[in-house]
Amino acid sequence: MMKELDCRGLACPGPVLRTKDLLENHRPDVIKVIVDNEASKQNVKRFMESQNYKVNVEIDGSLFYVIGSDEAGSEVQSEERPAPEPHVETKKIVVMIGTDRMGYGDDELGKKLMLNFLATLKEMGDDLWRLILINNGVKLTIEGSDALPILKELADNGVYILVCGTCLTYFGLLDKKDVGETTNMLDVVTSLQLADKVINI
Amino acid sequence: MGLDRADDAGVYKISDHLALIQTVDFFTPIVDDPYWFGQIAAANALSDIYAMGGVPKTAMNLVGFPVKKMDISVLRQIIQGGLDKMKEAGVVLVGGHSLEDDELKYGLSVTGFVHPDRVLTKKNLKVGDHLILTKPLGTGVINTAIKAALASQQTIDKVTKIMVTTNQKAAETMAKYEVHACTDITGFGLLGHIAEMVEGQNLGIRLHASDIPILPEALEFASMGLFPAGAYNNKEFRSCMVEFSPSIDSILADLLFDPQTSGGLLISVSYSDAKALVQDLHKAGLTDCSIIGQVIENPPGKIVVT
Repeated sequence: MMKELDCRGLACPGPVLRTKDLLENHRPDVIKVIVDNEASKQNVKRFMESQNYKVNVEIDGSLFYVIGSDEAGSEVQSEERPAPEPHVETKKIVVMIGTDRMGYGDDELGKKLMLNFLATLKEMGDDLWRLILINNGVKLTIEGSDALPILKELADNGVYILVCGTCLTYFGLLDKKDVGETTNMLDVVTSLQLADKVINI
Repeated sequence: MGLDRADDAGVYKISDHLALIQTVDFFTPIVDDPYWFGQIAAANALSDIYAMGGVPKTAMNLVGFPVKKMDISVLRQIIQGGLDKMKEAGVVLVGGHSLEDDELKYGLSVTGFVHPDRVLTKKNLKVGDHLILTKPLGTGVINTAIKAALASQQTIDKVTKIMVTTNQKAAETMAKYEVHACTDITGFGLLGHIAEMVEGQNLGIRLHASDIPILPEALEFASMGLFPAGAYNNKEFRSCMVEFSPSIDSILADLLFDPQTSGGLLISVSYSDAKALVQDLHKAGLTDCSIIGQVIENPPGKIVVT
């Protein structure tokens, strides 16, 4: 089933709302939305993507044809269309660490395990997106911590390390932190929301 | 202060101890409730005075009202909202002007005082400074969602509360520090306003995307394509000055261009003052404020987002 929607002359968020109505009522295999401005083009494309449609945009003079195909349904035939933006498929894994030792039982063993765990994390490759350190976990980031070189290596490899500012302040360690970015709860929550997978240690 | 450089308001020096700051701002409704709209419009208009390091003193109402289509009680509530906000800020309403208009509009012309040596502009950044943002971003996207009737009442209440909060406390708190530069984040979005600060300067700015406070609801609505057109205009105008690290999600990147209504202050202070100022701002109740980046030497005139 193919549906077409003419949204010429409509300002944001009009085209998105009309697209939303149509998708909610019909869920067509293919939907084509005609818009006449850049903002609506981007917004309609984003909305379709959020609804799991695969999107191509064709440009005809001042008009944009935003064409979505239901990823579960039939594919749009694509001819000479510019390929969609290259996108490397990596997962976003967040590892949230609320302690400086791993597991319960022996604390010395727990600290060694934590170092080993952090050193092995790089095996996740590009999927490892962010590390969030809270409560006792922030102690891993301070001067003199055995974990410091390992965390710095992760940071150099592009892993974003978020260190809870409230926790650092609580322990009086705000000036001792030597790796990562001091952060707040909103960033923590946003990271958890954006992540594909959260691992809690 | 001349007009050759973009700044938040006009400044006129009267004596060695006193300068006037003048600004004007008005817009069409963003929330349905007229009283809250009045408060938001007033908070937004006062903001430029605070961004210049001044204290607002007097104001005049600017009103466009569709008198044939709308009940006059709506206007009364709007003006009451504005008046309550002015009282809170210690500002005296001294007059105003209204006219018939097809579309409702409300705002203020505000006059404030500042010591001529304490005027804060956008152009006195120092390499090594840290940048502090005092309010979370995302009001443009959420206001679009409100217009589209997709925002919950809870979200409307939350964003209204943020927009009616004036920058008074932020300004009073930063006045205790040696602030190098300051601006308020409004229609050009965070990156648009930062672009004005570094344009033509011999320094640049690095922002840490994950440190920038963003309303989670804004991320959700942004991924549904509920950006106001202004966000894309801002991006088109300024993207030549911005380098995004490849790890930055495109939705997050565009949110940094989201036009803000009654947004926070962006404050540039030395590294050694930054942490203490943030703690003071937190104590003053501005719990969302955080250090979002720093002033760097290279690349000059650019914003790097990592």
